[in-house]
Amino acid sequence: MVRGHKRGLDRGLDRSQLHGRRVPTLAFMAWRNLWRNPSRSALTVAALPGSLVLLILYLALVSGMTRQMVEHATDLSIGHLQVQRQAFIADQDLYATLPSAWLPQLQQALPKARITPRLYASGLASAAQASNGVMIKAIDPSSERQVTRVLDSVREGDAQLDAPQVGSDGLTRHQVLIGAQLAKNMKLSPGDELVLVTQAADASIGNALFRVSGVLKPIDPGFDRSGVMMSIVAYRSLMVMDDGFHELAIHLDDAALLSETQARLQRAVAELTAEKALDELGGAAVVRNWRQVVPAVADMLKVYGGVTWIMGAIIVALAALGMVNTMLMAIHERTHEFGILRAIGMHKGWLLLMVMLESFGLALLSAVIGAAIGVALVLGPLRRGIDMSASLPDGFDMVGVNIEPVLHMALAPQQVAYASLMVVALAMIAALLPSWRVMRLKPAEAMR
Amino acid sequence: MNLRTCAKRRLALLCLALLTTPMPASALSADELIRHIDRLWRGDTSEARLTMTVKTDRYERTMSMDAWSRGKTHSLVVIREPVKDRDVATLKVDGNIWNYLPKINRVTKLPSSMMSGSWMGSHFTNDDVVKDSSFETDYRSTISFQGERGGHRVIELTSTARPDAAVVWGKVLTEIDGKTLAPLAQRFYDEGGALIRTMVFDQPKTLGERVVPMRMRLQPEDKPKELTVIVYEEIRFGTPLEPRFFSLQNLQRRR
Repeated sequence: MVRGHKRGLDRGLDRSQLHGRRVPTLAFMAWRNLWRNPSRSALTVAALPGSLVLLILYLALVSGMTRQMVEHATDLSIGHLQVQRQAFIADQDLYATLPSAWLPQLQQALPKARITPRLYASGLASAAQASNGVMIKAIDPSSERQVTRVLDSVREGDAQLDAPQVGSDGLTRHQVLIGAQLAKNMKLSPGDELVLVTQAADASIGNALFRVSGVLKPIDPGFDRSGVMMSIVAYRSLMVMDDGFHELAIHLDDAALLSETQARLQRAVAELTAEKALDELGGAAVVRNWRQVVPAVADMLKVYGGVTWIMGAIIVALAALGMVNTMLMAIHERTHEFGILRAIGMHKGWLLLMVMLESFGLALLSAVIGAAIGVALVLGPLRRGIDMSASLPDGFDMVGVNIEPVLHMALAPQQVAYASLMVVALAMIAALLPSWRVMRLKPAEAMR
Repeated sequence: MNLRTCAKRRLALLCLALLTTPMPASALSADELIRHIDRLWRGDTSEARLTMTVKTDRYERTMSMDAWSRGKTHSLVVIREPVKDRDVATLKVDGNIWNYLPKINRVTKLPSSMMSGSWMGSHFTNDDVVKDSSFETDYRSTISFQGERGGHRVIELTSTARPDAAVVWGKVLTEIDGKTLAPLAQRFYDEGGALIRTMVFDQPKTLGERVVPMRMRLQPEDKPKELTVIVYEEIRFGTPLEPRFFSLQNLQRRR
């Protein structure tokens, strides 16, 4: 230490030089000082980058999950935009439909968007083993494939919905896809017969036979428990409803055009409504984007953004506290040396600057190492995500969205930059305390 | 479907019970009156033909049905009209409900989770139709009014749900004709004391010793324009009906 100290004095402490280029000299001294006790510096450097690595992994995990939630909403269930009647949104009113003619007309207004119609109803499903209240969702298989990937999410069987079969009893059996939990509860597997009973639109008792063609992977918890998906053709014959849709779901190739397209869609809907008024009971036609359809998910994404950074700040602050300790030790050891520096005329402000520069050097080094390791981990071993399918084969449910059992990581460059900046900033704040002690040293006492 | 059947049956039973009351009202306590009404639901057997009209914002629909009952545990309702739903049958045995659907020749069982759903699109719930609970065990009743009301002698019973009873209503007010003991109206309140629906009984008819209201109108409070009306065209008591008449086999064989 003494040797190092000497070297520092020999090379850097010429007074004239000091006046000329104070800061570079101080920075040089700070740098040299860091290497006087490499093991102590290394220990400090181990804690700070460690916290940065944790923070980066945490950010990547949360971003991966939130990205999955967004993709889930836009690519698997909702689409980017939806049009529905007010009364359908409020209480799933069977009669609150949009005219069928709206589909080609809206397609014309939005030539680039992909639109698919949907219909819903509630009913009673009966099989050999059990019966269950169900939510019926009717889709148009060919256009649904353009909007969502739901028909690709089949766990058992296939997604065939538009090939009705006529049995030996002369009855037509359309196919249905059912939720995984419903399949389990009703002990159904592909090929089984299902009876659906419901109140049709003409108030008669709608009833028909169906054949289970496949079981869907868990997509949304509601559908998983009680969802039955069929073609719109099958729906119209079961529900005695010849015209109209409950929902138009719209997929955009470029999600950045969301608000612009929403405004265009709203204008188009307003024009169609002005041309021919909708019936009063069903209420107005409402255009909503996916955030408005699932506000819980949108809110969650917002909250996550804030919470992640608070968590990160806590992790880094803890590591920075470790750095305070190291710096305090370093200063305590060098009390004598600081005394000499003050005695030969070094201003205490420069001393403070030098100690702060040492901290800055440590923090910068930590940030570089931490960021490098963190990014390397995310791009390397964790590239394929964290696979929890052994213990959670169906993933898990979060605010009504099913999270896949494989957690994928997602990391944006600016996230790494912000995280590194946070490490440096917090480390510098932590370094203020030891630096303050240097300021208060009295040269005479310090040299004793 | 089930609900309709059950409601029918329940209505029939209620009518039956009302009919069988020959005693003078003044001599009866609240408990006796309630037991009397309860017993009406438990009439030995009944056979009825009735129509149910459901009026909602969206449609008005009239169905005519045949109904049979034995005690309060067994009942069968078969739709005669409209033609589209003809022979759709609902069987209730001991709190379970099955539907027979002739078009697809299948019997389906109603799960307990569907009990609060609408019965046949009416304003009755499946639970209304099926529930075996009795006012006597689930509610504590008192005579809250006795005397002239609108020129008629009426008795008003207030039934409050017992704390441990698993029932839908917090309080039920039943207005009974002081002379014939035929019910005039029933008002159903939720636990917060808000009126949820009102059932009005009228067109009393003397059948043997009893006076039975032949029409019941159920009106939900939140939809004042909607209504379910059940009218008995014909009702007979004491017809011999064996328990096996109310069996799943018979349900399908009837066709």
